[in-house]
Amino acid sequence: MRKRSLILKGFSVVVLGTFLLACATMPTPTEKNFQAPVVTLNSVELPYYTGWWYYDVKVQPTKGNAGKYGAPLALAFVFDIQNPNEYPVMMDGFKFTVAFDGIDVNTVNSPEVQWIPAGKTNQVRVMAITDARAALLSLLVTGGFKLKERETNVWAQLEDWWLAAKDYSLAIEVKEGSAIFKADGLMNVTGFSGKFGPE
Amino acid sequence: MNSRNLWFKLFVPLLAVGILVGLSATAGAATINVGALNDMTGATSDVGKDYALGIAEAMHYVNDSGGVNGKKIKLYQFDYGYRVPEALTKYNLFKRLKCVAILGWGTGDTEALSPTVTKDKIPYVSASYSGHLTDPNKTPYNLFFATDYSTNARAAITAWFDKRWPKHKDYGKRKPRFACSYMFASPYCSAPIKAIKDQAAILGFEIGPDQDVSLFAIDTKSQILGLKEFKPDLLWHGNTTMSVAATLRDGYSLGLDADHIVNNWGFDENLPRLAGKAAEGVMGAAVCAFFGEDVPGMDKVVAYAKKYNPGVPAEKRLIRTIQAWGDVLILWEALKRADKAGDLSGESILKNGFETMRNFDIGLGASPVTFTSTDHRVAGQVPIYEWKNGKFGLVERVDLKDRWPDKWANEWIGW
Repeated sequence: MRKRSLILKGFSVVVLGTFLLACATMPTPTEKNFQAPVVTLNSVELPYYTGWWYYDVKVQPTKGNAGKYGAPLALAFVFDIQNPNEYPVMMDGFKFTVAFDGIDVNTVNSPEVQWIPAGKTNQVRVMAITDARAALLSLLVTGGFKLKERETNVWAQLEDWWLAAKDYSLAIEVKEGSAIFKADGLMNVTGFSGKFGPE
Repeated sequence: MNSRNLWFKLFVPLLAVGILVGLSATAGAATINVGALNDMTGATSDVGKDYALGIAEAMHYVNDSGGVNGKKIKLYQFDYGYRVPEALTKYNLFKRLKCVAILGWGTGDTEALSPTVTKDKIPYVSASYSGHLTDPNKTPYNLFFATDYSTNARAAITAWFDKRWPKHKDYGKRKPRFACSYMFASPYCSAPIKAIKDQAAILGFEIGPDQDVSLFAIDTKSQILGLKEFKPDLLWHGNTTMSVAATLRDGYSLGLDADHIVNNWGFDENLPRLAGKAAEGVMGAAVCAFFGEDVPGMDKVVAYAKKYNPGVPAEKRLIRTIQAWGDVLILWEALKRADKAGDLSGESILKNGFETMRNFDIGLGASPVTFTSTDHRVAGQVPIYEWKNGKFGLVERVDLKDRWPDKWANEWIGW
């Protein structure tokens, strides 16, 4: 009984000692040593694709209600998040804008929190769904002058994008990216951008 | 045995607590959930994106400044692509997430959700400034920091009448002529029509035929030719920036000899970029200062924009960021007052929060905010700006409440 008690005490002291030692030797985040993690666009994937189509409200669907519906374009953006610090950091906010051929089509917000271990690289996958109906209205209300300069129109532009996506020939740009990192009450924001598509 | 018990009683719980406290970054933090419904992909995304960035940045500022009496705000911010059915779905999610208030967006979602937020008693602070949402007898839970479209329209036409008309060559010889250009079918565009025509009649204008200009228009020559027959001295634009710019450009190139006043969502930093020379002298109701203008509180707005969105150049930021801050700041104040009263229910946020504000100054060039249980028009004073010599400048603050006190109190609410 006494022997068991001694083993327990000893084990507890070792656990506590190890814990305290780890705490003592782990570098403490400071304003000076907190480096902004590096965010890099790794790849863009088309996880779901139904082609190019648009239905007007006059078209009666087989089931459900008629409406103005456009093909969804689902894109998964995979980013590498490299933590150069000697302590783990928490990513608490991730946002970027998606542009096709230099025209903004979507701004994506990924609020999920994740920890990146010291000196390691995590990956994050962010889904961005742009449907042709929303993109149509956005281009109609804001893109008129730009499309006129390009000598195209909104329908032709949308069709080009949706068809180019399937063989990965669409010029996709990530811009105005912002990732928020936290460590021990300190905060650092990383800006990022990237391109994926034909050279 | 006693010795072992002592070890277990003291050491093990201490170790467990130490590890838990050490590892949990959020231990003990009380939070208040707030939802934000934004358009970052749809028909209004050109301005909706800037507004959404402003909402998030302002909320960081709120939390950095102590939150709601020490409680942090957790912001759930979603894009709904200006699709009203999706707005309804997201609203249900906000309820599930126990959001105490919602920062909404446009006329579509605001009007669709108005009966529901009234029934559920959830404050809905949006960027739709329709005068129809200012009567608490009908829409008690719809709120916004800005003067409404109808008040803005009345102020803009009054400012032109005060400042420009006396300098006109025909001043004193005839009535000034006035017409409206907007998309008839758009609830946003047509919301203040009745009010501005009423104001035109009060001021003694001759009112000409309206011109139907699509929000998608980049060619408005036929409408301009129609206007040339009436020869307006003043044209009010109710659309958003691109189609307003198209109308200004066509008016300029076809020699329409008229001045222009523009509603809030057509009057921003992009207007002179798109309209060029045709934007010179255009006046509008801005409801607050433009991005970067030298007014109280702007230093924080600019600093937080730079800090949280370093990839967005300052020259691309718009007045929409300031409008977002305005809505966040009044919600913050309402939450603090309700929390102080010990009740963060929607009804308390309205009654102990918003409706206790009297001339609450949010800075940012906006009019001080007052809400009462019978009137949700925040102010009778409207800042009217003008684009001149490459910058926006304040023309005057028109005080409708002071100038027409009876009409303000008894006639003009809710339309």
